[in-house]
Amino acid sequence: MPDQLADERALITGLVDGNAGRWDLDGLIPEDLLRDLGARGLLCAQVKPSYGGLGLDSATNGELTAHTGSLCSSLRSVQTSQGMAAWAISRLGDADQRRTHLRALTSGQLAAVAFSEQDAGSDLSAMSTRIQRSGDSVVVDGAKKWITAARYADLLVVFGQYEDSAAAVVVPRSAPGVTVDVIADPLGCRAAGHANVRLDSVRLPAASLLGGGGHPLSLLVTTALTYGRMSVAWGCVGILRACLRAAVRHASSRKQFGTPLTGHQLVARHLADLFVAEQGATRACEHASRCWDSKSPEVATAAVLAKYVSSRNAATAAASAVQVLASAAAQDGHVVARAYRDAKLMEIIEGSTEICQLVLAEHAVTTTL
Amino acid sequence: MTINEAATPALAAQIQAGLLAFLEAKTKQVVAPGQDIFGTGLATSMFALELVVHLEGTYGIEIAGPDLRLEHFRTVEKMTALTLRLKAEAESTDSA
Ligand SMILES: Cc1cc2nc3c(=O)[nH]c(=O)nc-3n(C[C@H](O)[C@H](O)[C@H](O)COP(=O)(O)OP(=O)(O)OC[C@H]3O[C@@H](n4cnc5c(N)ncnc54)[C@H](O)[C@@H]3O)c2cc1C
Repeated sequence: MPDQLADERALITGLVDGNAGRWDLDGLIPEDLLRDLGARGLLCAQVKPSYGGLGLDSATNGELTAHTGSLCSSLRSVQTSQGMAAWAISRLGDADQRRTHLRALTSGQLAAVAFSEQDAGSDLSAMSTRIQRSGDSVVVDGAKKWITAARYADLLVVFGQYEDSAAAVVVPRSAPGVTVDVIADPLGCRAAGHANVRLDSVRLPAASLLGGGGHPLSLLVTTALTYGRMSVAWGCVGILRACLRAAVRHASSRKQFGTPLTGHQLVARHLADLFVAEQGATRACEHASRCWDSKSPEVATAAVLAKYVSSRNAATAAASAVQVLASAAAQDGHVVARAYRDAKLMEIIEGSTEICQLVLAEHAVTTTL
Repeated sequence: MTINEAATPALAAQIQAGLLAFLEAKTKQVVAPGQDIFGTGLATSMFALELVVHLEGTYGIEIAGPDLRLEHFRTVEKMTALTLRLKAEAESTDSA
């Protein structure tokens, strides 16, 4: 299975390796590179070939996501947003909408997904963005926060209240009334193009409403987030692999007190912990992808579990990797320095560590009694 | 699109029973076929998606776009009707 994507992985390595540190410092990935990867189908690789996609299953896309994440979490974040947008469109859109938008997302156009608002972070039911029907149009009003990849995006998949339930609407970034304000100096994933997005009476054709709107909010959110959680979880596996590699390399080559660092037991323990963190996260992700690929209802919980385990492991292990490399990793742009900052943010997004704990506790209570 | 008239009531009963069992296992509550499961807060955030994937996996259908709207999921009766329709549509395209 890993060989299935050998060419794609080599291509991504060639484009990213050696550049990710600079992108992190600049807070920017060259846009033509993103569009090139998008046109190759590599930013939303589960889209079916009939829409111009690679048609990968979740497990194979997961390995691709981990590979990207091992090189650059900013690029992997763009991949997560594009994949989540494509997944939302393929689940919620009608046949015409799928054809139009999925083709766009596999031909170089870029997309972002907007849920969060000032008063609706963990509690998305508090969203106040309104999508209203007005004759042949829909009108969108609201303000979204911290939208990954919005800086680069041509299309924004915006979630909001609609009639007595909810809806998702595809908003071209160029539509009158859309304002994108780039967020300066994020803690991590610095080149992922985070931005706040204002929507002031944005009037769009009614066909922009995915599936005609009127979906239960819980279903909309969980559908999109389940893809996002899988992608973040696999991305964190990438962070873990990068940290493990860097720590082992450094500890094997550097000597202190006359012996390689690997010979000091307290350092060796860090390496063991890094290895176990990577393996545990990989197994949780593989299980969730198996649930996805076999269409098991367990997928919703398995994705939360994978995201929870991977993001926590990545945050802890990245701190260990900094400890092992010490001054060698103490500079922004270094792969381990990036991992340390990027991993922490992964504990906040797509359901924070605490929100995952609530979901998993509820699952434990309903399934164990 | 034609639905096999004789098979439908039996299939409908089977789908309904399967849904009630799935719901009761997940919510630890007895659910009535006409009960509004979204309006009464029975549907947690994980649960709505689990329900969709359960129906898709069990009956070999795909529920997407307009079929995912709230009106089709309010009650077990409505979900049964949706499943019957999508199954009939899937079978008619298979045999076409
Ligand atoms: C790097 C980055 C990228 C992002 N990308 C996107 C994006 O692409 N699209 C998008 O829509 N949003 C995005 N977001 C927003 C993100 O989804 C929210 O930050 C996240 O949902 C948490 O919301 P909040 O920041 O408002 O924190 P809050 O909800 O205010 O939470 C603050 C703290 O309280 C805890 N907490 C909250 N409620 C509970 C509870 N019931 N029980 C226990 N603890 C609780 C939280 O876990 C957290 O630790 C991004 C954020 C970041 C940082």
